[in-house]
Amino acid sequence: MMDKLYLVARIADTRVALRSRAIHSVVTVGAVVEVPAAPPHVAGLFALRSRVFTLIDPHVVVGLSSVPVAPGQRVVVVDVADHGYALLADEIEDVCFIEAPETRVTGKLLPGWARVAEAMIEHEGHSLLVVDPSHFINLPALKAA
Amino acid sequence: MGRTGTLMDDLLNDFLAETAEILAEAGGALVAWEADPADRAQLDAIFRLVHTIKGSSGFLALPRVTALSHAAEDALDQVRRGKRTADAALVTGVLAIIDRLGQLCEILGKKGVEPAGDDGDVIAALAVADTVPKAPTETGEVQLRREDDIATDLQGWRSIRVPLPLLDSVMTGVTDIVLARNEFARMLRESGANPSLIASFDRLSDSIAGMRQSVSQMRMQRIDKLFSPLPRIVRDLAQDLGKKVRFATSGGEVELDREMMENIRDPLIHIVRNAIDHGIEGLDERVAAGKDVTATIAVSARQSGNQIEIEVRDDGRGLSPDALVAKAMASRILSATDARALTPKEKLDLIFRPGFSTAAKITAISGRGVGMDIVKANVEKIGGIVELRSEEGRGLSILLRVPMTLTIISGLMVRAAGQYFAIPRGSVREILLETSDSVRIERVGGGELAIVRGEHYPLLRLETVLGRNRDHRDDVEDRALVIVRPGQGQSYALSVAAIHDHEELVIKPAAPMIMATGLYAGTTLPDNGRPVLLLDVQGILAVSAIDASEAGRRMEEAVEAEAAAAAERHAAQLLLFRDTNGRSRGVRLSVIERVEEVPALALFESAGRIQAQIGADIFPVHAATLPEGDGTLKLLRLHDGHMVLCYPIDAVIDIVRLPDMVQPALAPGLIAGVVLVGGEPVELIDPFWLMEQYAGGAAAPVLRPPVCRIADDPDGWGDNFLAPILQNAGYRVVSGASTEAADVLLCLTDDGAAAHPGDVPVIRLRASAAAASPDDDTVYRYDRGALLEALRRRVGGTRA
Repeated sequence: MMDKLYLVARIADTRVALRSRAIHSVVTVGAVVEVPAAPPHVAGLFALRSRVFTLIDPHVVVGLSSVPVAPGQRVVVVDVADHGYALLADEIEDVCFIEAPETRVTGKLLPGWARVAEAMIEHEGHSLLVVDPSHFINLPALKAA
Repeated sequence: MGRTGTLMDDLLNDFLAETAEILAEAGGALVAWEADPADRAQLDAIFRLVHTIKGSSGFLALPRVTALSHAAEDALDQVRRGKRTADAALVTGVLAIIDRLGQLCEILGKKGVEPAGDDGDVIAALAVADTVPKAPTETGEVQLRREDDIATDLQGWRSIRVPLPLLDSVMTGVTDIVLARNEFARMLRESGANPSLIASFDRLSDSIAGMRQSVSQMRMQRIDKLFSPLPRIVRDLAQDLGKKVRFATSGGEVELDREMMENIRDPLIHIVRNAIDHGIEGLDERVAAGKDVTATIAVSARQSGNQIEIEVRDDGRGLSPDALVAKAMASRILSATDARALTPKEKLDLIFRPGFSTAAKITAISGRGVGMDIVKANVEKIGGIVELRSEEGRGLSILLRVPMTLTIISGLMVRAAGQYFAIPRGSVREILLETSDSVRIERVGGGELAIVRGEHYPLLRLETVLGRNRDHRDDVEDRALVIVRPGQGQSYALSVAAIHDHEELVIKPAAPMIMATGLYAGTTLPDNGRPVLLLDVQGILAVSAIDASEAGRRMEEAVEAEAAAAAERHAAQLLLFRDTNGRSRGVRLSVIERVEEVPALALFESAGRIQAQIGADIFPVHAATLPEGDGTLKLLRLHDGHMVLCYPIDAVIDIVRLPDMVQPALAPGLIAGVVLVGGEPVELIDPFWLMEQYAGGAAAPVLRPPVCRIADDPDGWGDNFLAPILQNAGYRVVSGASTEAADVLLCLTDDGAAAHPGDVPVIRLRASAAAASPDDDTVYRYDRGALLEALRRRVGGTRA
């Protein structure tokens, strides 16, 4: 049952579905501290309950220009390889069960999205990209945006 | 089924972890015992260890392990009972069994089952050694202590085995509690909570601090563990190389963070191997050097402040600075010029250079490309340093200094580009305000350097390193220099916008992409709840691509000094020329304005002096007569800053360095002395004297010295005493009988003036020291100063 639970959110100006098991939580971002000289998709660091999280800007990952972090913005917290990350979300819509099966990505995606999208899923009459949050974090060949 | 499997797995894992530890310990103990077979306690300890393995393996149904440990136990028991004596063969046999057990455990750990195989070979080897008959000794007493002493000793060993991940999670948990406490404390302060609430929070806070302490101690391990595999390594290596080595450890009770221990294990083993392979001489060489054939390697540990010092000392040949230099030059990691500038200590430090290997030939033992540079890098990675103390011919001691723990460090908080960063306090050597008197900042070729009390440091501005702009709110007065010493023999100045404070910081690794920048060593969360990045002071160097080695700096200074010295020597250059009389002469190049070629007609005689017209100017010429002919002639234009004098020459020969050795002329004159240039004597023109001849104003006919007539000199005092002084002072002296016109008349009698006609000035000399009356204008004849002064007043233009 858990496999069918998705978080529907708008990330990098695109509605996507994130598999709930890949997600730790959704929180409100605190004071963000910049990381000079870090890769462009690193938006900064923030502390949450005595843990330090690395904030990722998905806009940069898919090839858009970065957006400033607004106070009180919501972020999707994920754990990848024992480190805590948070993806900046434009909007968190819903957590819901989607009964439809995941299907292969059809159509040509922008290169940035092609890297992170794993599948597509039908939800309330719209096709959503199913993305793996860890793809936003580990980009071995990330070019400077 | 799953449950049983898990239980068995746990037991097996426990067994493997325990056995690995025991094997390492047993190896060391065996070697120690071999050195001193009478050490009963050591033998008992080994016996117990093997016995433990046998017991556990029987429970887990591992027949090969059981058989092997049984064989070893049996052999050792023979010795305990006095039926067998300890010898090298026995020890080698037991060590072979220990090795085999180690191999089996490794496979067990990977596959979970004991592999099939036969251990008859190692067991038989031990048994063969057994057949050599040995006279039994001390039989009776020993037999009584057998099982009972084992039982009592095991009682004293109260500890439990905890899986490392569990320990780590407890540590992480406590760290989180500390951070949460900090945040809570901040919120309490801000909310203005009532005192009783704060008091109870303080109690909680204290117990958290206590707990953190205990958990930190849980991570601590006796350094014994690090030392335990060493005796075995030493023994095997020494045997392979045919060397005799006595090995000793001390300070095993010192405790060190488990993680630190992992980090220095390999460096330590490498150093010990190096000591045996390269440090300890062969037997012949030791005998020749008058040393004990058995070398000593001592490994010791001690706590000093919040650091642990581990020293590996050998009594081998030590390091030869010159041999190191030769080696470094042969490996092309050092140029001959650089080599000369090195101090002895810097020469020793060459062994830390990448690509350096001290072995004359690559050996299988330590010359495998893993050099001291790796050792140094590993130790520095955990905030430690490596020091060398070498006594050539007497031995080498290598000191590793490492912090006790990694996770909680004392940090210096600094500000740059509007945010805070932490610098490990341990690598900060000094903090100075940039405006301080002892700091000077210089810009050189686009880079900057800070000079602090004469010491030069490369200067890095943190904002520049981070690729940020300075925050406009920063006060320039606050800017500070942090003198950072990231590793041994390296230092640089890091300029920051402001210094904040010191704090105890819990350091956590940052996300890999942040660590990959090379600028940060981790993150921390101070009391204010905003994350702070810990700067990687070593990484900053690498990213900035600056050479912060102190050795290099002194070298640069030497180069500068050399250049300055060369410039000074260049200043003292000599222009060689052939004078009009054909002689080789020279004059300092610096006094020559230029060499002029003029037509002979440009020279003319006027007012008794030869002059030259060059352009619109007229300059005096040092010549007695006008040149003959109407060709051209060369003139050296000598310039003293005020006037120009032309010196006619035949030809310029060369410009050479002024030799240091000058044979001075006896008397002042045109020629100041003689020097040898290329083996030929060259007369050195004295520009001082030359200029002096023409500097006396336009009126003075310098080539014709003023003439002094000495009158009334009946007893010859004037000729014999006075004339030489006057000649020295530049006057021509004529006697009273001469009819030549004189410029001044010296009258040696008080009253004879009337006899001399004309308007020539007269100086009267008196014989008595005291003046006859206040208006007496005579000069005492032995008062040289007054006499010359009187002459100068009356004639002028001569040497006073």
